[in-house]
Amino acid sequence: MITVESVTKTYGSLKAVNDVSFEVAGGEIVGFVGPNGAGKSTMLKMLSTYLYPTLGRISVAGFDVVDEPLEVRRRIGYLSGDTPLYRDMRVDEFLRFIGRARGLRNTDLERHFDETVDLCGVGDVLAMRVDQCSTGFRQRVGLATALIHDPPILLLDEPTHGFDPLQVIAFRELLQKLRPGRAILFSTHITADVEAISDRVLIIHLGRLLADGRLDELAAETGMPGASLEATFAHLVSATSSPSADRTHG
Amino acid sequence: MADGTTEAHRLESSAGEPAAVAGFASGVWVVVKREMGAYFDSPIAYIYATVFLVLSSTTFMNSFFLDSIVDMSAYFDMLPFLLIPFVPAMTMRTWAEEHAQHTFELLMTLPLRSLQVVLGKYAAALLFYLLILAGTAPIVIMLAWLGSPDMGLIFSSYLGALFLGAFFLSFGLFLSGLTHNQIVAFVLATLMGFAFVVSGHEKVVAVLDGLSPSWQLGTWLFESLSVMPHYESFTRGVLGLGSALYFLLMIGFFVWMNDVTLRRNRY
Repeated sequence: MITVESVTKTYGSLKAVNDVSFEVAGGEIVGFVGPNGAGKSTMLKMLSTYLYPTLGRISVAGFDVVDEPLEVRRRIGYLSGDTPLYRDMRVDEFLRFIGRARGLRNTDLERHFDETVDLCGVGDVLAMRVDQCSTGFRQRVGLATALIHDPPILLLDEPTHGFDPLQVIAFRELLQKLRPGRAILFSTHITADVEAISDRVLIIHLGRLLADGRLDELAAETGMPGASLEATFAHLVSATSSPSADRTHG
Repeated sequence: MADGTTEAHRLESSAGEPAAVAGFASGVWVVVKREMGAYFDSPIAYIYATVFLVLSSTTFMNSFFLDSIVDMSAYFDMLPFLLIPFVPAMTMRTWAEEHAQHTFELLMTLPLRSLQVVLGKYAAALLFYLLILAGTAPIVIMLAWLGSPDMGLIFSSYLGALFLGAFFLSFGLFLSGLTHNQIVAFVLATLMGFAFVVSGHEKVVAVLDGLSPSWQLGTWLFESLSVMPHYESFTRGVLGLGSALYFLLMIGFFVWMNDVTLRRNRY
């Protein structure tokens, strides 16, 4: 469902993403791990069509992100790392606005709205303005905007940011429920999230993809069979030489 | 997230067919509604409207009582100078606020064309301006009650005021899209509005012509760029096709430029 071929993204002289290739199939949950400024968010922004790659090609659900961005946007649910919400709107108004902008109308909109509210657990805050919600609820609302149109592809940038431990567990259960038929790619700093729910891990550092595989495979490849993702990640990152201080894009 | 209480959810299984892309006009309307809500949810809108109406009405009433003439020419003569700071104050937040709330990325990843978003924001700003302009209706009613004003002239002057505001809004929105800073957007749009208006003033034309006699810069600016000859043709009661075309082309140009600059950000 997602195919990334030799993609590079530059900002001036900085290569935020450097010759990255990977695929994500339907029914697969893939964790995208890397330190700050590694290029995770830039990669997700390109998959969402917000940014276009400088080099290479990205296909989402069979559509090129540059040539057919509207077709791509119809099929993705995207939660960016900044949790973009209109804070002056009530939660219910905001979700309906997103539903309408995604082409949902009347009973179809109400059905999707009810189901998403239920699924994301935001029923208690529907009448509240977004800026009155706690960080955790705002994150849930953001997640609801990514799900309201029932997309076959989910792109989530730091989706558990602001969640308490119970909400993290509930989020992991939610992703498992959403898994059938969907390609889910999420970025995180929290290696425990990846270990708990991901089928596969992508490790990125300094814009380059250092590893792509199942956790046990990666641990074995790095000569540390049975090691945790955290240990594997630390080993791979420290092995890469790095003028990381001047990198500003995540 | 629903703590396990939800059963047999549609979303929990495979994803369905994607929803149809909103039609062009329908997509624009979604954005208009959101923007109108944002205008009226904030006290700023009410402050703008009140300040505009109080300033324009008191200035008009002053000249109305001094001249004792039953027409609105004093109002429409002063309007361009009032719009120079007023419209930029309205448009400066349009795109800057999207960047501040990080919702620009959300808007640009919805299945809407960037032109739909631009037109939606533009149409909402124009509706808001129309509502404020409609707030001057009591002046027309008062004049009709006191005497027999030339209603045809008043109608064409309002049409000119509509075109003038629509033009100011178009470059105000464009300049707001160029910068993330509201103050910079305000200053740039005010300067541009000032240039479009004063280049139509005869003293400015004479000074510029005097500075460059061979180039006749003042006359050239007046004839080719200034908004005033076109606006004044409406306030004189002349519904000229050329003037309407000037406004439509200028508005189209700045709306198109706004769209182009938004799309350029993707590279």
